[in-house]
Formats: sequence, structure tokens, C-alpha cells
Amino acid sequence: MKPAVMPLEELMGSGHLACQGCGATQAMRFALKVLGPETALVIPACCWAVIDGTFPHSAVNLPIYHTAFETAAVVASGLKAGLEMRGDTETTVMAWAGDGGTFDIGLQALSGAAERNDDIIYVCYDNEAYMNTGIQRSSSTPVGAWTTTTPVTNYKREPKKNMIDIMAAHSIPYIATASTAYPHDFMAKVKKAKSIRGTKYIQIFAPCPTGWKMAPELSVKSARDAVTSKVYPLLEITEHGQKLKVWKDFEPTSVRDYMKVQGRFRHLKDEEFDQIEKDVEMKWQRLVAKEKMLASIPGLIE
Amino acid sequence: MVKKLEFKSYKDMPIRAMTLSTMMWNLTGSWRNVRPYYDFKTSPCIAGCPTSENIQKYIYLVTEKRYEEAWSTIIESNPMPAITGRVCFHPCMSKCTRKDYDEPVNINAIERSLGDMGLDNPGWMTKVKGTESQKVAVVGSGPAGLSCAFYLARAGFTVTLFEMEKALGGVLRWGIPEYRLTNEVLDRVISSMLEAGPIEVKTGVEVGKEISLEELEKDFDAVFLGTGLTKSRSLGMDGEEGDGIEAGLSFLKKVNGGEKVDPGKRVVVIGGGNTAMDVARCAIRSGSEVTVVYRRTINEMPAIEEEIEEAEREGVKFHFLAAPLEIKRNGDSLTSVVFQKMELGKPDESGRRRPVAVEGETFEMEVDRMFSAIGEQADLEGIDGMLDCEWNLIKADQKMGQCSREKFYAGGDVVTGAASVVEAIAAGRKAAEKMIRGFRGQSEPEEIEDRIVGIDDMNIDYFTKVKQNRVPRIPSEEIKGTFREIKTGYTDELLEKEAERCFSCGVCNYCDNCWVFCPDVAIHRRENEYEIDLDYCKGCLICVEECPRNALSTREEGK
Repeated sequence: MKPAVMPLEELMGSGHLACQGCGATQAMRFALKVLGPETALVIPACCWAVIDGTFPHSAVNLPIYHTAFETAAVVASGLKAGLEMRGDTETTVMAWAGDGGTFDIGLQALSGAAERNDDIIYVCYDNEAYMNTGIQRSSSTPVGAWTTTTPVTNYKREPKKNMIDIMAAHSIPYIATASTAYPHDFMAKVKKAKSIRGTKYIQIFAPCPTGWKMAPELSVKSARDAVTSKVYPLLEITEHGQKLKVWKDFEPTSVRDYMKVQGRFRHLKDEEFDQIEKDVEMKWQRLVAKEKMLASIPGLIE
Repeated sequence: MVKKLEFKSYKDMPIRAMTLSTMMWNLTGSWRNVRPYYDFKTSPCIAGCPTSENIQKYIYLVTEKRYEEAWSTIIESNPMPAITGRVCFHPCMSKCTRKDYDEPVNINAIERSLGDMGLDNPGWMTKVKGTESQKVAVVGSGPAGLSCAFYLARAGFTVTLFEMEKALGGVLRWGIPEYRLTNEVLDRVISSMLEAGPIEVKTGVEVGKEISLEELEKDFDAVFLGTGLTKSRSLGMDGEEGDGIEAGLSFLKKVNGGEKVDPGKRVVVIGGGNTAMDVARCAIRSGSEVTVVYRRTINEMPAIEEEIEEAEREGVKFHFLAAPLEIKRNGDSLTSVVFQKMELGKPDESGRRRPVAVEGETFEMEVDRMFSAIGEQADLEGIDGMLDCEWNLIKADQKMGQCSREKFYAGGDVVTGAASVVEAIAAGRKAAEKMIRGFRGQSEPEEIEDRIVGIDDMNIDYFTKVKQNRVPRIPSEEIKGTFREIKTGYTDELLEKEAERCFSCGVCNYCDNCWVFCPDVAIHRRENEYEIDLDYCKGCLICVEECPRNALSTREEGK
């Protein structure tokens, strides 16, 4: 047998309460493998507040601070400050929130922590709706999607909020996107984030088979297709928002194929798919152009 | 298992909400309605190999640099990888899943590298002593006979190997030219096989003439006949017997025996099989201008495709749809041959389209020498009458080699007609296994139907297109006047790179995907396997979906 492709240590155990094929659970397992035991977690209301288990049990073998919905980032800031006051500069503090607690409810706390550049890792596992409370739309829900608050007769017409640009506007030292289908990429990004001082924001695409009305075994496949169809580009923003790197080394796949396996897009008609495909391509072109533009600014070329 | 903690009253609770235990008490396996399990299937290459070499396994072992184990894996079903790695027509590669993706894995070249390593490490071949009482006579030391003798000897049975020529090897020695298989390699392979077990060799003995089959039947507990095809089929033309015209096989025999022969300036070879290609390529090395004349087209040629390509590369000319009609001589010496033009008619019993003469259309070619290579026949003198024969071949069970008399087995070309080295090896091994089961009173194994994996069963998202690594070779310009081996074989680096290309279809090669993606941490990575913890597996089946090689299957619970 060859050496293992990722660290063997498991800080997350079995018996947790996630649904079958949960992407958020995979993401947590990958992140903890890199961060190691010297880590404290802050989890607001979100799926993970439930997945972790029932009091007094926990599926994660690390201290977790469960907080109110809107306060993940600020509690993490406070936790880090408290640890430093006691002379502990080693422990990594990671806020771990869903897209609702990041894009909507937790935005002000996150913005505050980012503006102060507090030394925390903030990971948003993005499953594109409030899944834990019953699949309500969030500002991360993509255009065209069904949720219980955007039924098929009135599906979501508004595009997904561009959280990455919002975070980039804060000039924090490190921003990245990831996908559960590319665990090595994600783990490398978490490792990098751990080595940087200041606020680090990582947004990982974590499919929710339950909320997306999809077979659980397609969880990883859809996470992969989201990247290769350019719906969810993998990128890194470094040097306080001045450098952008977009991952392009893949065989492009079709947006339609990615969406068609998910029940939440089943009601869409061909012309609506056409429009979505156009928008995805447009956004991708803009992203690549931005990468080029940033690279062409004198003084930034290495 | 960690116990679930329950508090009888609030007084039992800690002052702050804090974790006291893990969630391991929660057996989430009860949520499952479908269960994944490891279920290895058959790679198409293995199904395509006549002797069922475990190709997937030995290539995997090469990727781990466990060369001795890889070599031993081949030896279980093929005792001469150094030879097949050079001359096999590799049907495995035309079944390789990668051919539907980019290019097949060069299994043949990997096999050769391992075979050569085996020759360089004689210690890998363990020696076996004669432990069993039964004795077997093996007649003919071509691939079928050698293979049969080897597997009998490995099981501890004493074998006497009869060969009519002075040296062992049969068609491997006399039929295959030096540039494809050198005598040096052949000698090393044969001596390694003979040393591996109790095999006694008797050369220069023609069974059927000097020793009769009746005598063998009396003296031995079983007899294997692997006598091959030794007679050239004649053209059936007037003047065929004279000067300048020779059977291709006898020419090859001279060349392979090291005799200096001058085939003349302008050479024509009649036929489209492997013998024709070998004759043409030997003649071109002796400095002749060679034309192969075949009565059908290139599509119907029975020769290995690679051989045809090589011949073309070396400068052999081809003339299709023509057959010799008349031989012209000036006194005794051959001056020219008149050919009849042909066209393709209706398919015959072999499924190939039958060539039909085009009335009145002929052409003449000036030649110094003509070789006929239109096929070989078995010499059944002393066999026919004792055993049932059909179509001038021995009639035997195609799978196990059993003949019409109890003690007799046969295999290789003498049963199948002109076939391949690897099929002969398979026939020899299967006959040996059948004899061993007979001697030991074991029952026939149950036949299990292969479940073969194809590209549609795999998750190709995990593969990237990589071209096949070409085998280093000497330049075509350098072949004139030398019988040096053309292909020099993979370097260690190329071997490793090519082995890495294998998809390992249907069989786990420990890529870790199932273990990586399990959201429930229910797959444990053990020393040499993965284990699914059914106490916690929720049955999401991500492991099945994300396995690139279809090494897992599913089963509904309660069924």
C-alpha cells in the first residue's frame, strides 16, 4: 500500500448527525486534518451546530464554542484575544459558519473582524441555502434555484451575492474558494491560511444532497462539476486583495449537466438554462480579465 | 463503543455546557438502506489474455517497485515473460480500457521488463524437487511443451522432455528471428525453466519414429504432445522443386541457426502470415530487395499488425491481390515469376473474402529467389492412427487438451493450427493442471464467469490523458546487415511511468478515494485493505460513485 494521500489523524469522528452525503461534514474533516489538535472552533447556528451532536456529546474532538447566529466572527476574535492575553499564541481559532451565517446574518460581525484584521480563520461552508432550518433561500442561493421560500412558481430570480469581492474589499491578507471535490487543494489553502497572521477567509463549496434534492452519492461529483463548469471557480486572493489567481487547469464541462442532476433546478426551461450558461461564462471571463489586469499593474509582477 | 451519557436531573449536569463524550454511541449505520462493499471485478486485459496473466496485479506491484512479486505473479500463468514480452501479439492491449480513453497501456513492454529482471535475478525462481511419484513425457519443446513441462515440474512431478532437434525451443528457436528474440535470451529462459524443477531433457529424439507413442504410454503416467507445425505447405506449382525456390521455414531455420545465407538481390516472398514477414525481414537484413506478394489485401493479412508495420518501415515492399502462376527459368536458374492478378470475392468459411483470379490479367516480375510462406502443417507421422486426428491436426479438448486416449494430452499449434506463442503457453499450462488434478484426484474447479469492467463503469474524472511511452529502439537505418534486437526495452524510468498509466480496472489499487471522501469516517484504512464500518456507514454511496475503477458494488439492505 502506498503512503496515505492525506494525514491519517481523525479529529472528527463517526456518529455525527449529518445527512447522507453531507459536503459540510467532509469539509470539516479535511480542515481539521490540516489544523491539528491545537485548534479551537467557533460555530454559530448552522448545520454544523446540529451535526456535531447532542449535549453533552460531540463528534469533534476539539473545543467548540457554539454562538448566536450573527456572532461567529466576533466571538472568534474575542476567543483569539483571550487566548493571547493568557499567553497562548499557538492555538488557531477558526470560525466555521454556513452561508446564511456568513452572507446574511453574520456579515456585520465578519466585516468588523476583517476590518480589524483579527487573527482568525473564517471558513464559510457554502451549501447555498439555510439547510438546517428547512431549506430557506439565502443570499448565497444561486439564480434559478428552488427553496422552500422560493417555490418553483416563484423560484429565485436574484443572482448569488458575490461574497468574495466583499471580502476582497476589506483588504485582508488571504481569501480563497475551495470545493469538497478537491480536498488536497482545500487542505493546502487551510494550511496556507494557518501560516498567515490576520483575517483569512475561505469559502468552500459543500453540496447538500438533501436541500438540493439530489442523490447523496452525487455529492462529490456535483462539487467537482461546479468547478469544471466554471460555476464555482477556485481562486486565491493574496497580498491584501492585490493578487488574484484563478485555477484553470481542467477540462471544461457543461453548466447544464451540473444543474440537471439537482432537483432544485428541475423546473428550469431551456431558455433559462441558456441565460444561466451565458451569465456563468460572462462572470468567468470577467474573473480571468481581472486576474490579468491585476497581474499587469507594475510593481506587482514578481 | 462509547456510552451515551444521560443525566437523571439538572444536578448531574456540569455548570457550563461542555462536551463530556464523543458521538460514537450513535450507530448511524441504522439509517442505511443500501450498503457498499468492496467487490473486485475482472480487468478486460486479463480476460483478453489467453493464459489469463494477472496483468492488473503485476502492473500495480510495479508501481510499488515490488518487482519480485510482480514477476512471480506472471510466472503463475506464464513461465516465459521475457519471451512473450518480445513476441506476443498482446491481445491484452487491444482490450485495455485505456484504448477507449487515449492509448492502451503498453502491457507487452512492461512484461518484457519484468521478464528480463527475472533473468537477471536467478534467485527469484525457487527450485522444486521431485516429490511426486508420477512421471510425464512431454513431446516437443516449443512454447506449449516447455510450459506444460514447467508447470508439472513446479508441482513436483518428474518430466522427460523430448525434442527432435539438437536444441530446445521449437518455433521459438527456429521460427522467430534474432532481431525479435535473440538466442541468448531464449537460452537463458529455457535454462532457468529447466533448473526450476525435475525436468530431464532428451534432444535429437523423434517421437513417432524413433520412440513410438505406445512405448511412451507404457513408460509414463501421461503424455503431452506439443509438436507444433513443422512442415511447410507447398505452392503446388510446376518447377517449384528447382533451384532458387525455397520454403520460408527452412530459410528461417538456417538464418536462426546462425548459418550465413545469401538470399540474392531480388527476393519475392509469397504469403501474408508471420512466417512471410519474418522471411522478408531476414532477407532485407541480408541486403536484398524484398517484395511480399499476397493474394488478398493488407486487411486480410494474418500476420501481427506490428510485424507488418515493422516490415514496411524497414523497406519491404508489398504487392497485394496477386498469386504466382508460372515459374520461368533460364536453364536451372530462376529468372522471373508470372503472377495472376486477383480480386476479392465472397467471404469463405474463415470469414475472410476469398480471392478470385481476374481473367487474363497477369504480370511478370524478375526475381533471383522466391520463398513460399503460405502456411505450415503438422507432421502427424506415428501419431495419426494412435490418436484421433482431424484436418491434419490432433483432435483434443480445446480447453484442457485431453486427447482421444486417456493418458494423452495435446496443445499448441498441433491442435489449433497456426496460432500464437501465448495460446500455446496457455494450452501447455492447462493440460499440466488437468493432469495434476487427475494425479491428485482433485475435482475440476467450478467455472466462474468473469465480470469484466469497461470504460462506462469507471469514473474517468480521475484520469488525465497521457500518451503511451514508446519503447526505445535502434534506428531503422541501422538494421541492414545486423540481426540485432530492434527494441531495446524500457528503462526503469519509462517502466515506472508506463505502469502508472494503468487504470487498474475493477480492482482496488489503494488510491484512497473512498477513505478520503467518506463523510461519516466509516471507512478505515488498514495495512493492505480498506474496511467499511457498517456501524456508522449511512449508505450515501459516495465511495462507490467516486471509486475511479469500479472496485465497489452495492447491495440493498435486508435482501
